[in-house]
Amino acid sequence: MTKTITIDPADVRARSTLRGPEIPINAYDSDPKKEAAKYGTATLVRIYRDMVFIREFETMLDRIKKEGVYEGIEYNHKGPAHLSIGQEASAVGQSLNLTPDDFIFGSHRSHGEILAKGLSAIEQLSEDELMRIMETYMDGNPLRIVEKHIGAGDSLRDLAINYLLYGTLAEIFGREPGFNMGMGGSMHAFFPPFGVMPNNAIVGGSADIAVGSALYKRVNRKPGIVIANIGDASMGCGPVWEAMMFAAMDQYHTLWDDEIGGAPPILFNFMNNFYGMGGQPKGETMGFGVLARVGLGVNEDAMHAERVDGYNPLAVADAIERKKAILLEGHGPVLLDTITYRFAGHSPSDASTYRDKHEIDLWREVDSLVNYHEYLKDNSHATEDALEAFKTDITGRLVKVLSAAVSDNISPRIRPGNGDPIGAMMFSNQIVDRMEDRTPEVLIPKEESRYKTTQEKFRFGLDENGKPLSKMKCLTYAEALFEAMVHRFYEDPTMVAYGEENRDWGGAFGVYRGLTEMLPYHRLFNSPISEGAIAGTAVGYAISGGRVVAELMYCDFMGRAGDEIFNQMAKWQSMSAGVLRMPLVLRVSVGAKYGAQHSQDWTSICAHIPGLKVMFPATPYDAKGMLNLALHGTDPVVFFESQRLYTEPETLVAGGVPTEYYEVEMGEPAVRHEGTDLTIVTVGATLYRALEAAAELESKHGLSVEVIDARFINPLNYDKILQSVRKTGKLVLASDACERGSFMHTMASTISQLAFSYLDGPVAVVGARNWITPPAELEEDFFPQTAWIIDTIHERILPLPGHQPSTVQTDDELLRRYRCGI
Amino acid sequence: MAAPVVMPKLGNTMESAIIMRWAKNVGDPVAEGDVLCEIETDKATMEVESTASGTLLARFFNEGDDVPVLLNIVAIGAPGEDVESLRPEGVGASSAPAPAEATPAAAQMQTTPLPVPASVVGNGGISPRAKNLAAQKQLDLSGLPGSGPHGRIIERDVHAALTGRPKVTPLAREMLASGGFVAPDQGTGARGRITSKDLQPAAATLPSLQEGDILEVIPVKGTRKIISQRMLASMQTTAQLTMNTFADARPLMAYRQRLKNSAEALGLRDVTINDLLMYVVARTLLSYPELNALYTDEQITLYRRVHLGFAVDTPRGLIVPVIRSASELTLKQQAQEARRLAAACQNGTVAPDDLNGGTFTVTNLGNLGIETFTPILNPPQVAILGVGNIHLKPVAVDGDVQFIQHIGLSLTINHQVVDGAPGARFLQALAANLAQLELMLAL
Repeated sequence: MTKTITIDPADVRARSTLRGPEIPINAYDSDPKKEAAKYGTATLVRIYRDMVFIREFETMLDRIKKEGVYEGIEYNHKGPAHLSIGQEASAVGQSLNLTPDDFIFGSHRSHGEILAKGLSAIEQLSEDELMRIMETYMDGNPLRIVEKHIGAGDSLRDLAINYLLYGTLAEIFGREPGFNMGMGGSMHAFFPPFGVMPNNAIVGGSADIAVGSALYKRVNRKPGIVIANIGDASMGCGPVWEAMMFAAMDQYHTLWDDEIGGAPPILFNFMNNFYGMGGQPKGETMGFGVLARVGLGVNEDAMHAERVDGYNPLAVADAIERKKAILLEGHGPVLLDTITYRFAGHSPSDASTYRDKHEIDLWREVDSLVNYHEYLKDNSHATEDALEAFKTDITGRLVKVLSAAVSDNISPRIRPGNGDPIGAMMFSNQIVDRMEDRTPEVLIPKEESRYKTTQEKFRFGLDENGKPLSKMKCLTYAEALFEAMVHRFYEDPTMVAYGEENRDWGGAFGVYRGLTEMLPYHRLFNSPISEGAIAGTAVGYAISGGRVVAELMYCDFMGRAGDEIFNQMAKWQSMSAGVLRMPLVLRVSVGAKYGAQHSQDWTSICAHIPGLKVMFPATPYDAKGMLNLALHGTDPVVFFESQRLYTEPETLVAGGVPTEYYEVEMGEPAVRHEGTDLTIVTVGATLYRALEAAAELESKHGLSVEVIDARFINPLNYDKILQSVRKTGKLVLASDACERGSFMHTMASTISQLAFSYLDGPVAVVGARNWITPPAELEEDFFPQTAWIIDTIHERILPLPGHQPSTVQTDDELLRRYRCGI
Repeated sequence: MAAPVVMPKLGNTMESAIIMRWAKNVGDPVAEGDVLCEIETDKATMEVESTASGTLLARFFNEGDDVPVLLNIVAIGAPGEDVESLRPEGVGASSAPAPAEATPAAAQMQTTPLPVPASVVGNGGISPRAKNLAAQKQLDLSGLPGSGPHGRIIERDVHAALTGRPKVTPLAREMLASGGFVAPDQGTGARGRITSKDLQPAAATLPSLQEGDILEVIPVKGTRKIISQRMLASMQTTAQLTMNTFADARPLMAYRQRLKNSAEALGLRDVTINDLLMYVVARTLLSYPELNALYTDEQITLYRRVHLGFAVDTPRGLIVPVIRSASELTLKQQAQEARRLAAACQNGTVAPDDLNGGTFTVTNLGNLGIETFTPILNPPQVAILGVGNIHLKPVAVDGDVQFIQHIGLSLTINHQVVDGAPGARFLQALAANLAQLELMLAL
């Protein structure tokens, strides 16, 4: 949204015909003389060598999986192996003209791409740089094993090749000296120093992550392009389309500063092997016929789409070289339809019952290894013997690598026993002021912005007599969030924020009001309505080294970004064994009044997924202090906010919201009201109803009630809550989340275990009904009310003399609801 | 219609009794007069006989439960009859069969006045917190009504029960909280406040001896438990002073000889030395009413007549029956009453009322060769006389030494209310009266 772009009805209603650019299909003309001149014999031969590396590496894994033995070395590999036998030319051709600065993201079938990009980087990096990488990566642990058990080889590059093979294989086998300490395995292995970024076991999962990485490069002026290697079948995945939309936004050209350089340098490379599991995208499960056609639907440039013959490494290398230039000029995104074919099944367990052997034979006849082998001989680049020698050499090398990688002594696995090593990888737990040291780009000084206005507001919402001040004159919850955003924007030059209404509108709830005037487009912009890509690009941005705040308006929309939040955002720090950091804050809000798809509290869903920090402030003080905390760290945070509270001033924390910077202590609940007879723990805006309940219990029943605002879902320090329950012996937990499966039940169970002997009754949970959220007028029947809390106490914990329940909170009613599934 | 059998009130002061052993199981046929169970009060063990005939449908309590009197303990009737209406309030279903028609809890709630909607269901158990608090304060929760949901005993019920108990000083509370001490029911501080002095070290753990070294492990319960509590309370709540003397026993022995030789028809042959002694004690006490007294609640009550308790050694332990108005009985009457009570104690049939109301106690260890000892008071009585054996004592008589038979007398008084001199004067008078036994018999 911007006022600078006018939608003129005269324009948009005018008659015309839409024409797109032509899509080249296999346009590469092979010219051996030119190729020889361009690359030279050594490089052309190396292409063959690298293809043999991949073929033999994958063949080894195929034997290990199917026969349990390779060259006499026995091993039972329990994990997956999605092999790319047949796709070698696509991988090697792609990496030929990439530099180590260029990133590739891959799929579950990316062993070949890891090796090809790695071998390419080894060829290009200086020996000093190579040694520095190997000596510092994982403290040099993999390097020492390679030197001791596999051999240093004839040269440093030779050593680096052994290192690459071993690091990859040990990772595939789930071993500690693997590139990601075995935490990624076959489908997720990667090695950033060589530009090999995470491979992804979710089909199409790399698309939006790679776009985010390209965004990082563009915004922070980093060299290189980013390639998403995804399969043809991923064209059926929504997030892939979302990623393309995000990558093709007009604003990179129409609104962003020219100096930024245009669109993110992203290349969507569809490794088109014509199969997606058992289905065939061409002819069966999709309708594009030629995958490259899809480019026409995305932007005016048709994404510079081309079909490339992935069975000719030089055709692929040529295409990459041309597309890279387009991308560096800021004219992305690019779509490549790189056709290829896998000889093996989807995985070793796949007997390929869905395809004809005849088809496989046809492709074997054009096997790139055979054809390119002939090409080299025909053009006198190498003799038959020299080419055959590669296979012998590589097999011998692999025997050594395999022997070391299968040995439990040489290549142990991470075992819990010495502490909690995998647990220690779940979060990076760092505090980083700025992800990069340079001056943040802003449009005006903080002091001249809306920040000055908010700073001058009343910081506490009540006067000295406890009477409410005008909300307009008080700093609200939304403005407290704003102050936290401003602080980090002016500290961390890499920090960007985006969502569907972030610029100009200032966020649907006004949190970003004023930021538009303060920040250039590339730091604050509107995204397409693509929740998957919003979260997914943020993941890519963060793991590439930048700090990012993605915003989804309503937490109900997390469903649209399920994979990105739960499988990507939550998991990459630990799947990388700490190689990657994830300074990503995902802001979502809990709504009300907007019915079933806009009024849910989904904290419990986030609580269930390991790897996420989950916060939910309920007061302006915490809104600022907790967002400050989230934005200072390096871990992924799902930051819940309450739409009920955006316009509320601070009324609970004495002294109000400090003007200066501060942080709330990670995981620490806050005691909002002290008491001795009963404890109520809440998450979110339910706090205020709990305080009302506490007041009524005190005035009518003489009970002294302690009210605790958990604030954090994860991590959560239970000490304060346990202390309270040990004191009072009675506990009710309440939040706006639907009662069944609520995180409140997790807390209830934990506390019941840890404070059992102190309990004077069962721990009770008050949640929203297990219904859809009804219309705004009926919400009092759905969300927990003060009376529900009091009646629950009366019926299940402590019968209150003289109390007449107005709602049914009995055990029988609980059973009835469960019996009916509601 | 099923009929209940209640816990009988077998004495004026009996408030509850512990069911020691059930004699009938649920389902057994029962005839009126059949023994249902054996119970034990703080004073004696008795049997409860059925007051109805039929089939035993339900037992509402378990062995070991302390049941208040007049509460239904069983239901007897025809198989299948509803017994729930007979179940005492607040008592959970134990061995009772499931009620034929359970009333939905919700319906009950609507008809039951708040605030304790669920207590009528009565199977709510005890909250861990209440249980721990009760253990810490040494409060027995059995029979305590629960005010939590479903009749659960919760913390406030324990607090309510505790408010009737004596207060504890802060230091004593800290010591109790440390777990190493136990408190008596009543303290010696102002208004019964329990002070650090009242605390006793908690039972030490047994030294870890080899298994074979243990002869027997005897649970302390029933009469033994009562004795144990009484004795400890006596020592902890009174200021005991014991003084000893000896009395010339020759008149006693001579008179005893005469009784033994008397005509059988007189019925005096079985009168013992102890009978004679108690006779003289009762008569002497009439002149020393401050020793024939009870000390309770900041007041001392003196009695006109002497109700004389005497210790009886039984297989179940020490029992002290009371001879009513002993000071008004003839020697023969008193001896007969003593014999009757002792026999009842020995065979466990003594009535609870015969164990109550003593104003002074005599305990005799003479036949076991003990010369003197320190008897322990039986509060609220303020004095107890211990009687030793008869033995020869050298006595200077007219410049010569004679060996004369004497009997040991040990008087323990509660020095809180009886001073030493009056105690000594009584003892002196008693010794003098024994020496002039024939005169006493005229009184």
